[in-house]
Amino acid sequence: MYYLGIDVGSVSTDIVVIDENFNVVESVYLRTKGRPIKAVQEGFKIIKDKVKSADIAGVGTTGSGRHIAAFLVGADVVKNEITSHAVAALSLDKDVRTIIEIGGQDSKIITLENGMITDFAMNTVCAAGTGSFLDRQAERLEIPIEEFGDYALKSKNPVRIAGRCAVFAESDMIHKQQLGFAVEDIIRGLCEALVRNYLNNVAKGKDIKSKIFFQGGVAANKGMKRAFEEALGCEVFVPKHYNMMGAIGAAILSAEKRSKWTNFKGFEIADVNYETASFECNGCSNLCEVAVIKCEDKVIGYFGDRCGRHSGKVAV
Amino acid sequence: MKVGIPKGLLYYKYKPFFTTFFEELGAEIIESPDTNKEILDLGVKLCTDEACLPIKVFHGHVEKIKDKCDLILVPRIMQVEKREFICPKFCGIPEMIENNIKDLPLITKAPIYSYSADKFINWAYETGKLFTKSYVKIQKAFEDALKEQNNFKEGIDHEGFQYKIALIGHTYNIYDKFINMNLIKKLNGFGIGVITHEVVDDSIKHMEIKKLFKRPFWTFAREYYGFASYAVKNKLIDGIIYLSSFACGIDSVIVELLKLEFEDVPFLLLKIDEHTGEAGFDTRVEAFVDMLTRRKRGNLA
Repeated sequence: MYYLGIDVGSVSTDIVVIDENFNVVESVYLRTKGRPIKAVQEGFKIIKDKVKSADIAGVGTTGSGRHIAAFLVGADVVKNEITSHAVAALSLDKDVRTIIEIGGQDSKIITLENGMITDFAMNTVCAAGTGSFLDRQAERLEIPIEEFGDYALKSKNPVRIAGRCAVFAESDMIHKQQLGFAVEDIIRGLCEALVRNYLNNVAKGKDIKSKIFFQGGVAANKGMKRAFEEALGCEVFVPKHYNMMGAIGAAILSAEKRSKWTNFKGFEIADVNYETASFECNGCSNLCEVAVIKCEDKVIGYFGDRCGRHSGKVAV
Repeated sequence: MKVGIPKGLLYYKYKPFFTTFFEELGAEIIESPDTNKEILDLGVKLCTDEACLPIKVFHGHVEKIKDKCDLILVPRIMQVEKREFICPKFCGIPEMIENNIKDLPLITKAPIYSYSADKFINWAYETGKLFTKSYVKIQKAFEDALKEQNNFKEGIDHEGFQYKIALIGHTYNIYDKFINMNLIKKLNGFGIGVITHEVVDDSIKHMEIKKLFKRPFWTFAREYYGFASYAVKNKLIDGIIYLSSFACGIDSVIVELLKLEFEDVPFLLLKIDEHTGEAGFDTRVEAFVDMLTRRKRGNLA
């Protein structure tokens, strides 16, 4: 028996298959590229040759695209990212007390005690210091994002970069660049600025106790890990599947639900042709933007209306 | 005369007073519709960028009804309580509206000091004289309006839910379903009841703030802190959700005060701005509800 977990995030879509002991059997990490449906389908195409649909006993979805994904694949559990990340971390280590999670658009801190979430916080409306900002800077400097962390580790003299806001950080970086500072010093400075921003902003007033887990896509960045360790004065653990923790948590939650049957529609949906469109509903003054998902010219689902006038019409 | 009442800012709190006052003076009341996307867009377009969302939304409401009325209520609320103040933006809102919106009808500009009837009536005279020359008539409208306001039962106190949270925030965020993305309904859907600050009597709030090292400068701070303190002490709630508009200066102080004082109470700060995508908002609410319910049940899954 296997369980499927899908995390549709702003930047990446992660799909994992775990066994009954919560070991990762298969995993796929894809860029969402603003097309969550396509990303899930791509992922399924890769997995379907390795795992049989019939072996899947439960499906959980998470991430900001969890509702659309749940609808698409037929999920048994739809869970927010905070709970999913905490569940995944606790399945690896019961002693974890703090989870630092930095994804594409969100950064979070979760504090735990006796296996329970005691507090959490997320970045507010500002996405400074998250993965998409690092992505952008990597692109601007023409450094592959995978190597970003290695550059930071090479630096001996980090340059101070303003970390309060992504726009400030970027202009500060450019000014320092124009003065001739080395790229690696700037990158390390940027990592330190982002950590500073995280600790002062997201983690403000939170009790950061070890053991600390660092997860989410940004945890791949060794420069960020080191900057956290330096700032906190203790070791920060990056779990093996750091970028899949949300998906793993969702899969575990579906396993823990122990339902007799699953809603899973099968990996075959990878080959179905879905189309999306949108319109502005004129039903009331809210003028909701409604997204429509079509399959071979037949509408199969609506998203985004506040009142349920459309989304309630189609059985999800 | 047609009087426009924009459904923004402290409308939700003082609607009975203003409606009664103008009606007694023979005005026809034109209320703007509930906040919607069009109003939000208008407000964002017209207002200066630095203002908070509620101020922008208020601009949208004024723009929406300005062509239909002869006078628009733009209440310059200075003080509602002695030795306390409310947000400085309220003191300058008529000027903001005047400078940001073209082709306005008349707007009310007289300041409101509502902590005593003697002071407050100056606003009534100043505004009422546009309708009548009779001071007696204005006085009667004013007194009736005050009575109506005092009889107004404010606040939310849900019963019959397994969990209950204190929903704290400015009334224009809490009661505007569009701005807050239907938060109260969402919470109810999760089995969470809501209690708001108006439910607790003012005299209790005054008692509760006595333990602070100084009395709060802001009326809002006294109300919210006093309420939270009372609710926590009497175990009325399982947690606190603070609904705050991005860049609100007063909130930034109150939030820290509450967090420090009630460290052991689950606390969620929700910031709202122009966003209409609900995913990020829902995630926070859901995770908070998970945390509350699991804490009480004592297991994670």
